[in-house]
Amino acid sequence: MGGYGDVQLLRDDGLRLDGRKLDEMRPVTIEAGVLPAADGSAMVTQGLNVAVAAVYGPMEAHPRKIQRQDRAVIDVRYNMAPFSTSDRIRPGFNRRSREISKVTAEALESVVLVERFPRSKIRVEIEILAAEAGTRCAGITAAAVALADAGIPMRDLIVGVASGKVEDIVVLDLDKAEDNYGQADLPVGILPNTGEIAFLQMDGDLSPDEYNLAMEYNFKAAAEIHEIMVDALKRRYEGGES
Amino acid sequence: MSNGQNGAEQRLVTPGMAIGPSDGVRVGSGALAHNDTIIATRLGWVREINNTVSVDPINSAYMPRSGDLIVATVAEVRNNLWFMNINGPFQGLLPMSLAPWKVEFGAARQHMGIGDVVLARVQEVDECHNVVLTMKGVGLRRLNQGSVHSVPINHIDRLRGEGNAMLQRLRDASDCRIIIGENGKVWIDGDADGMAWARKAVALVQSSGHKSTFEAEFSALEKTTQKKGDA
Amino acid sequence: MVELVPTLLRQELARLAEDDLRLDGRGRWEGREVTLETDCLYNAEGSAKVTMGGTIVYAGVKFELRTPWPDRPSQGSLMCGAELRPVAHRKYEPGPPSPQSIELGRVVDRGIRESGCIDMESLCIVPGEKVWGVMIDIHVLSDGGNIFDACGLAAIAALRTAIVPAERFDVGEDYTLKVKGTPIMASFTRVGGRYVYDPSEEEELGGDERIHITLGDEGHLHSLQKGLRGVFTPAEFAEIFDVAHHRCVELRKLVANQEGN
Repeated sequence: MGGYGDVQLLRDDGLRLDGRKLDEMRPVTIEAGVLPAADGSAMVTQGLNVAVAAVYGPMEAHPRKIQRQDRAVIDVRYNMAPFSTSDRIRPGFNRRSREISKVTAEALESVVLVERFPRSKIRVEIEILAAEAGTRCAGITAAAVALADAGIPMRDLIVGVASGKVEDIVVLDLDKAEDNYGQADLPVGILPNTGEIAFLQMDGDLSPDEYNLAMEYNFKAAAEIHEIMVDALKRRYEGGES
Repeated sequence: MSNGQNGAEQRLVTPGMAIGPSDGVRVGSGALAHNDTIIATRLGWVREINNTVSVDPINSAYMPRSGDLIVATVAEVRNNLWFMNINGPFQGLLPMSLAPWKVEFGAARQHMGIGDVVLARVQEVDECHNVVLTMKGVGLRRLNQGSVHSVPINHIDRLRGEGNAMLQRLRDASDCRIIIGENGKVWIDGDADGMAWARKAVALVQSSGHKSTFEAEFSALEKTTQKKGDA
Repeated sequence: MVELVPTLLRQELARLAEDDLRLDGRGRWEGREVTLETDCLYNAEGSAKVTMGGTIVYAGVKFELRTPWPDRPSQGSLMCGAELRPVAHRKYEPGPPSPQSIELGRVVDRGIRESGCIDMESLCIVPGEKVWGVMIDIHVLSDGGNIFDACGLAAIAALRTAIVPAERFDVGEDYTLKVKGTPIMASFTRVGGRYVYDPSEEEELGGDERIHITLGDEGHLHSLQKGLRGVFTPAEFAEIFDVAHHRCVELRKLVANQEGN
């Protein structure tokens, strides 16, 4: 976190620069089944973020050394498009993307019933087309909807959501300025039905009380986003009856 | 989403959603029991039959079961066996002993090469998803003509219809030979007009097979065929 | 991943070709419906989304300040790259850019560059010291066939809506990038023995070589590429060149209409 104290992030009326309340998230839209070539897909917009996820598989795991005899492996690639940020990103290897891909894969492996598909691989491709802070969370949400769309069995969905701290105040869903100049960021992946947490990262400075409040905000937002996810999946198949 | 006739509710559920109490009912596919509650594990429609609660998935990968009739494509040939693409996570293996011909060791390639399409049956699937195919059986053969189409696995029942009624309508309207593989591959062979019509029908199943408007759309398409003047 | 080509698919495509038919019922020179959306990505200085059947492509334009090449002190630069990432299709694998994606990016790059639609001199800020580098990145999200045309269209549409972010770089006020002309690509694949325009995924799978033609506003050729195994005759080229000409005029109108909105 930048943690620069000289940038004003809260207005005198107590609202945030973009007019949001402290516990208000940016508008979220979700569409399922957006990519014809994929087995399952979803697009999530959150504020100005645009995240797209594609799922392929289950398919035979190659190379053989990554195969697990007792379960499927989930192969996640989180990638930011070169034009997704204010300064162009050079395509190619990137430590940040690798780390996010790894922990996202592990989070998804915690909800997907991987033991149903021994020796196989499920590919999850997360592409960030526009980034305005919070892309890993939008990516997780998109991945969960895409997995459900692909018909992959899961014990719950996962909702990606983040809270943080600006000017010593806990706020939900940091935007770009808040992320750059704020004091903490707490992105999580929440299982909306069980209330468990499958993804957790944090950086900055939070007191235990602030952590609890940030988590409370995250759970509240996760419930809201979950409704939008369910709605997106239902809309994709509206008019359908078995 | 409408209420069925016997009070059975047509409910679309998403993974993690509670379907109802698990007490006294059996848990079928697409669901699991957790803390006295039945939870959906798939996106799909809730089904309650014979005290068993399951979820009919809207989308699904092909998972081979022994006995399945499938349309497969040769992906690799060895001296004494063929590896087949069966449209599932794993390739199927056809040993020369289960081919419909007497094959000499090293001569597998003379009977079938890469890209050839066959009608086969799943002989055996083990716990590690090793799939063995057979072509010994009535009607199992290499398909030398016609075309292969893809339909979503969960639409196969719809494509067949109750007691194969829909399949019969497809055959009548197109005047084509049609074989539906359990692996979502449909083989169609007939004259050019019939195949063009059948192609449209399969495309309709692909795009609208899950919708309640399907029957009406299919009937409209049926009227466009030239095969039966009064259909 | 090398895709498996079913023998029956090639056989059927050949049979359809005899009656001059296509798998999806299109005429030989008929394209799929094309949709174009511009200014659709926050953070890109110019952006476009193109869909053609099952194909979905995004293009985004970014600018950077750089020192000019010593031999061209008063010229800026243009670069166009494409990524065929594994998101786009089961057949694409992760790893360094494949020869396929490099070919794709370079063919689109040549069409735009050689059409002269960007005046490199206009990208100069201080000769010998500071010029603009324009970078078009193309991102294929879904490969449903004929990604070349979709990429070419997305790239030029994005470029034509680009705003030069001069303020952010402290070199004056933002202004619209000057783009003279709209080079358009038209692609043909040999399917069942004869060329068709705008091949679908299945036609590409069961087809042979392809030819990409990029034409400028005056109908002049700016980029040609023959890809994959196969040969063609001058007479065949004359035929598709004529089709390309008409199709490019139509697509150029689509770009103009989008800008008019």
